[in-house]
Amino acid sequence: METKNTPTKRAEKFRQTYFDAKSSVSVEFPYWYTRRWEELEGEIPIIRRAEALKSGFEHITPFIMPGELIAMRKANYLRGSHPMPWLSESFFLSKEDELYKEALKAGKASADEVTTMGQGGGNVTKSTGNVISIAGKFGLRKEEMPILIKTAKKWFNKSVEDIGHKYEKLVPDYDIKEEIMRAVICMFDSGYTLPQGREVINYYYPLQYGIEGIKSICISKQNSSAGYPEIDRLYFYKAVHTMLEGLQTWIRNHAQEARFMASFEGNHAQKEEFLELAERLEWLSENTPRTFHDALQLIWIFHVAVLNEDAISGLSPGRLGQVLYPFWKQDMEKGSITREATIELLECMRMKFTELDCFASMGVVGGVLSGNTFNNLCIGGLNKEGDSAANDLEMLILESAMSCDTPQPTLSLLYDEKIPEEFLLKGIACTKIGTGYPAWINNRVAIEFLMNNFQHEGMQLEEARAWSIGGCLETSPGSWMPLELNGDTYLIPGGSAPATSVGVHFISLPKVLEAVLFDGLDKRTGRRVYPSHASELESYDELWTIFKRYFCITVEVLTLTNNIQHDIWGKITPSIINSMLKPDCLEAGKDISNKGSRYNRTFNVEICGGVNLVNSLASIRKNVYEDEKISLEELKEAIISNFGYQSAQDTGSYSLIEQVKTSNYIDWMKTHKLCLDAPKYGNDDKYVDDIFRDWQHWFSEMCENYRSLYDEALYSCQISVSTHGPMGAVTLATPDGRLSGTTFADGSVSAYPGTDRNGPYALFNSATCYNHAISQNSQLNMKIHPSVVAGREGSVKFLELIKAYLRKGGFHVQFNIVDSKMLKDAQKHPEQYRGLMVRVAGFTQYWVELGKQIQDEVIARTEYEQLY
Amino acid sequence: MKHYDCRYYLTIDVFKGLCKRDAHRVLADDLACENYENARKCKHCLNFTLTTTDMGLCMSIYDAYPEMNAMTCDEYERKT
Repeated sequence: METKNTPTKRAEKFRQTYFDAKSSVSVEFPYWYTRRWEELEGEIPIIRRAEALKSGFEHITPFIMPGELIAMRKANYLRGSHPMPWLSESFFLSKEDELYKEALKAGKASADEVTTMGQGGGNVTKSTGNVISIAGKFGLRKEEMPILIKTAKKWFNKSVEDIGHKYEKLVPDYDIKEEIMRAVICMFDSGYTLPQGREVINYYYPLQYGIEGIKSICISKQNSSAGYPEIDRLYFYKAVHTMLEGLQTWIRNHAQEARFMASFEGNHAQKEEFLELAERLEWLSENTPRTFHDALQLIWIFHVAVLNEDAISGLSPGRLGQVLYPFWKQDMEKGSITREATIELLECMRMKFTELDCFASMGVVGGVLSGNTFNNLCIGGLNKEGDSAANDLEMLILESAMSCDTPQPTLSLLYDEKIPEEFLLKGIACTKIGTGYPAWINNRVAIEFLMNNFQHEGMQLEEARAWSIGGCLETSPGSWMPLELNGDTYLIPGGSAPATSVGVHFISLPKVLEAVLFDGLDKRTGRRVYPSHASELESYDELWTIFKRYFCITVEVLTLTNNIQHDIWGKITPSIINSMLKPDCLEAGKDISNKGSRYNRTFNVEICGGVNLVNSLASIRKNVYEDEKISLEELKEAIISNFGYQSAQDTGSYSLIEQVKTSNYIDWMKTHKLCLDAPKYGNDDKYVDDIFRDWQHWFSEMCENYRSLYDEALYSCQISVSTHGPMGAVTLATPDGRLSGTTFADGSVSAYPGTDRNGPYALFNSATCYNHAISQNSQLNMKIHPSVVAGREGSVKFLELIKAYLRKGGFHVQFNIVDSKMLKDAQKHPEQYRGLMVRVAGFTQYWVELGKQIQDEVIARTEYEQLY
Repeated sequence: MKHYDCRYYLTIDVFKGLCKRDAHRVLADDLACENYENARKCKHCLNFTLTTTDMGLCMSIYDAYPEMNAMTCDEYERKT
């Protein structure tokens, strides 16, 4: 492990507080939101929504931690969040009895009980004392449970989930969709779970105009739209104005609390800090930022405001170092800030992002997000003119991410040949200390993808350069906006499109193949998912054709039903805050669900388990159809028998290693060996790579056949996030030799653990056997032993390795620089590894907050001990 | 009375918090100290009526609960 700097005392104090803080749920926001919503029965929906949001913000109990330089949070807890029953209330209604029983059991918790909950990190894994555990993750004070249930009931048959469900049933073949979800061929719907996110926020308007300035724009626009055609613009401006009033009260409440805390503070320095904070918040409740510190506080306020608008994962700050650079540069020139003070502020910012929690449905929070919120900060890339955009502030962002290594915000380095070597080596230094970030992203490939998909909406090459990563790895369009500061004008980048990774979520490819092999059934449950194909599958082409047919059925029905869900979302709970921020909603007077954004082609089709599918196809093709070493029936029997092994659920081990044989193992040994020995992706083997390339081309082309709610074609998206765990858990053994219930290969171009045996360059050749720009992304995770990249020479070799991959056309690569032995020890002794972070698939997370399915998969990943 | 009910209690999470006066870590449900002052909660408000042990009405109209923070509520009127 490389040596690393420690955080400033201030940031370290917050980090230790964070390590000890539990995810906590507050009912304040939903209570006041719902109360106001009910008062306004009959009002125009977007006005009703704005008033409800306003009331929610105005009633958040202000919370200022002593020592914090950047204030304000989602709720009145350090890791606070709140349910949004207007999106989905069914969980609380279905769990009502269970929650009441837990509440009855409650009593006072002892200090020991509280402190022994270290395992699981910040998750409240069980009900204790006066705290009820919700889904093993969030803690709720028992006295808030009855009002939460009562509030949730008010949304019965009124939430996006319920109304969406009512209308999605009108889609022909809806029954198939139900079975697809039941079989976990698809992981989740997005309209009521995470309707926004996987996008890049845009901070331009608050920075350029301040809150009062935006309100003035609204009044002016209101005056010019009242009574004129397209009158919805009037309601939009009125809604934005109303919502901003709520934000102002929210900010001022915090200023008041800071003054209250100053009133009895005995420490002079702390008292001054409280008063400075109060003054800053009071100023920003109306005006544009004066300094870098002001600007950082203001963007944070709007970031949290958007997160309180909807259940959101992956609201990325984007190229924040370039957005804030004008403020920092002017402060540095004036001598009003130092590099040391900048690092302290940036470390405090990291802690704020790390504190963020998202209260979404349980399957989503655990099964998809692993408790992460995916705030991706990008560095590097190109400016509008095509020169390197990397700057000194971004160097400090890297520095602070090394000294204060926390999961959020994760970093992505937008690699371009024009980025200075010094900057790249700083990125290498950060990756080497084991943070899992920055991820290395190919700027050229992203721009090619953007030009292919957004040119029809007016995107020019110069604007394509403003792109950034939304969420863990979703290529997102941006724009350059002119920020005026003290007489100078700076073009700052920001997101200019709504949520992506909405549409079709995480289709489990091995599970679709399983349905092909078993005539359309979910063999695990015996339920029919797809119409019988009634085929003997006598040739590989026949099998492949039926796979494509089932996959198309899946994409079609999920596209149609998700379109309805998102339409209902836009009608009941339209985005007001995020819409206001996104060019060109404020100009056009349209929210993002009415195509107010500059770019709107953001719906995609996400998949999971692609490498297991391809390896399985290679195994079937070779063993069954070409070499005829086993029949398809024998293979199916072996799959049902899990090749003679116990199931992962029984052993509690979710990778191929450490599995337990049954007594009839010998009956399936030969078949299993054939499957394991079949060509495997990741070894520069043309046989299997050709299958991989064919799949990639077909998949990306077929997405074009489906239309989003915004009447734009879909495109392919290839990330696994954490879905490869739960989706693997419900999938039988696969023809590539993978065992039942074990986790799939992660990412999209990562090899299945242990099967890439020819070194990293062979893996790169396999991964780049197709053009990555045909998809929104690709994802490659690698694990390297720290000794391989040690020292200056190791850094240079490491950078050359990364460049080699990106020059071949790879879109993304990220690394765990970690010793697998340590991970195994951390699994046994989690209490000793509270700060250990690993890279999963597009995000870094604390080891102790990951589920075992994902932990096992990370341990099992091939560990490279040499770089050639 | 508990820390949880005190005006100077700063919540960190559902279990614990800080005393705003001395920044010491305290457990929410432990007994409060001599600095205790009632927090603004519905149970201390003239406009709140208890209807069951854990629920009540605000201004005779709205559902509410006794432990709810009322620090930001415009309708709050302290019981004397």
